Amino acid sequence: MNGAPLIHVVDDDDGQRNALVRLLGAAGYDARGHASVGDFLLYELPDRPCCLVLDLRMPGKSGLDLQAVLNERERPLPVVFLSGNADVTSSVRAMKAGAIDFLTKPVDSAVLLKAIETALAREATQRQAEDEALRVGALLASLSTRERAVLDLIVAGSLNKQIAGSLGIAERTVKLHRANLMSKLNVKSPAQLGQLAEQLRERSGLTRFLP
Amino acid sequence: MLVLSTVLLSPDPAMANGSSVLVLFSNGRLLPANVEVERGLRHSLSAEHRGSLFEEFLDAPRFRGADFERAAVDYLRVKYRARRPAIIVAAGPESLAFILAHRSVLFPGVPVVHVGVSSTQLGPLPADVIGVPIEYDFSGTIDQALRWHPATRQVVIVTGASPSDRMLEDRLRAEAVRFQPRARFEFLAGVPDAELVRRLGALKSDSIVFSPGYFMNGDGTEMSPRESAMRLATLSAVPVYAPYDTFIGTGVVGGRMPAFFDAGMIAGRIIERLMAGEDAGSIHLPAAQATALHVDWRQVERWGIQTSDAGPDLIAHYKPPEFLEQYAREAAVALALFLLQSALTAGLVIERRRRRRAESSILRQRAELAHATRLQIGAQLAASIAHEINQPLGAILNNADAGIMILDARGSVPTAALREIIGDIRRADLRASEVIRRLRALLAQREVEQRPFCLEDMLHDVQAIMRSEAELRNIALEFMVPEGRTILIGDRIQMQQVVINLLLNALDACADVPAGRQRVSVSMKADADSVTIGVRDLGQGIPVEHRSRLFESFFTTRPDGMGMGLSISRTLVDAHGGRIWAEHPEEGTLLSVRLPISPPQCMAQA
Repeated sequence: MNGAPLIHVVDDDDGQRNALVRLLGAAGYDARGHASVGDFLLYELPDRPCCLVLDLRMPGKSGLDLQAVLNERERPLPVVFLSGNADVTSSVRAMKAGAIDFLTKPVDSAVLLKAIETALAREATQRQAEDEALRVGALLASLSTRERAVLDLIVAGSLNKQIAGSLGIAERTVKLHRANLMSKLNVKSPAQLGQLAEQLRERSGLTRFLP
Repeated sequence: MLVLSTVLLSPDPAMANGSSVLVLFSNGRLLPANVEVERGLRHSLSAEHRGSLFEEFLDAPRFRGADFERAAVDYLRVKYRARRPAIIVAAGPESLAFILAHRSVLFPGVPVVHVGVSSTQLGPLPADVIGVPIEYDFSGTIDQALRWHPATRQVVIVTGASPSDRMLEDRLRAEAVRFQPRARFEFLAGVPDAELVRRLGALKSDSIVFSPGYFMNGDGTEMSPRESAMRLATLSAVPVYAPYDTFIGTGVVGGRMPAFFDAGMIAGRIIERLMAGEDAGSIHLPAAQATALHVDWRQVERWGIQTSDAGPDLIAHYKPPEFLEQYAREAAVALALFLLQSALTAGLVIERRRRRRAESSILRQRAELAHATRLQIGAQLAASIAHEINQPLGAILNNADAGIMILDARGSVPTAALREIIGDIRRADLRASEVIRRLRALLAQREVEQRPFCLEDMLHDVQAIMRSEAELRNIALEFMVPEGRTILIGDRIQMQQVVINLLLNALDACADVPAGRQRVSVSMKADADSVTIGVRDLGQGIPVEHRSRLFESFFTTRPDGMGMGLSISRTLVDAHGGRIWAEHPEEGTLLSVRLPISPPQCMAQA
């Protein structure tokens, strides 16, 4: 996951699509045009930050259809919609489905570039969070069942003695598990463990889905 | 001897009950006002009476005097001895005076309808001499001009040198008094053309010109008042106002005026009533013909006149449809919608009612209704029109911005890249103007045409107009137009309107059917002497109980529909000598229009 961002322009209108690709190029982005939803879906996305500039109305599948398909994916792409007319119903649908912005043609270049910047920033934040979650998830996966149980109680705020009581083991054994899991989680001090515990509490939604 | 002369002077009693109408015009045949009056007259007369309409011209003010008058009486008496008119129309004050003086000799007892005579020129009239006086509103015109040009200090009045011209000059001198001290009046009465050139060309912006035109200028050159108005408008450095609608188009701004066409129609209606047996004395007539504020819109724009203060009787001639001038952004589309809809409302409600009252012309109404329903089509297509225009506009904007960025970013100018950008801008611009052209052709208020056009080209235009609309509704639109050039004679835009109408109905019919049936196709099939255009949908079909009323006016099943589409389509197709019908296959509907390839000789002028 690296490299410069790639902007995908999906618009059936040759003139408009070429103009957008050219504009994005002039603004310093790599941009790629797709003449239809199908063309875009057939294209294998490289592992680079990217966002979509999507025409609302196209023959065949519409921009909203594509957005719905992308939202099914594990990692939805940020979408900036373009529309030939200010269609309120469609814009509400698009925004509810998570679009970054809904712009009406002819679109002012500054407005479009700003929306793309926002889209890329949002994608970057999302990727960072996901990477972090993956890292923590991998660490957690290396713990034994017992160590994981001890960690859960530490995260819940229990003291060694309480943990020993809850799990029915000696306090010394708790300390041993604690030392082991600190080494596996690569934390040097109880303070760092506390920090990680705090992080895990914040991401409690994530931890539930991990083994 | 006495007996003999009585026989000579009185008409042949066997011919006492004629059925023709004799129109005696004061002036020459080609005087524009005469042409308009005659047009109005013919418009409102039944075909039977139109056929026996005779016209004579006294040719005032060029011919006059007792000898001429005597000769004219003899001529008319002899000429019409065998075809004694049932009604005389006196068109103009000189004609009325002539008829009143000689009727007892020429056509005793024949009722007279006067037209184009003002109430000040009318003395007490016999009971069987009737008509609606025409009022030339000199003061009203000057008053309106002063309101539109509030900085005016001087009103220059131009009149001519013939006796008729002198009479108008007298009247104007009398009326001018009432405007003091609002403005100073300067009369250029019967001055030579060279002086007009000098004086009118040197006028400052605090002046305006008013003229009723003239028959003869100061050099003794004769002309029609309309020609004189054209001369004045060419010479003048300031706006020229005039009181006759025949001057509109010569370069004058306009004025408050009666329409000569209307005057002819009013006279025609009186004739019909007299012919139907009504007694002249019992026909109730208005005291004067209504006037309206007529302007040449090109002049209004040329002089920057704000007409917003004018009332609803402002009639703008030569006015292009407004919204097309400002299509630059989507604001134009909102504006277009607004204008289209208000134009539609106005077109249907005010305009039609006003015109209908003024002139019962079926043909004109048909053309207007066709235009009004075209405006409605425009309103229905507004969303796809917006898309069609915004697409190239977006490309132009983004290309231009890209060009600026490229120029800002680099030291050396990348000529090739810029050339490509400008080429794309040009293509997008041409594409937008093509959309506008097609739309303008469809929506403009225009004369009905009767000329050859290529049916295939017309259908391609329809395809271009409707493609985006079908896309918007996710309906597959298929045109099966064979190669070739089938030439029809008629009004291309009206036929285009018919096909678009059928297509809009077909698209509507597809609204509530499964995706697989959302298809509309247009086909075209020609044989030796006719061509058939078919519009087929696979929609929900027309319920049996509605089928018989399909082509009736105001019959609609849509909550927002007007019910005019198919009714006007049938009217237009009929006028082209064609036929329109509906078929109801198992799925959907097929509407067909058959048009003759070589149309009948006397095709109705729609």
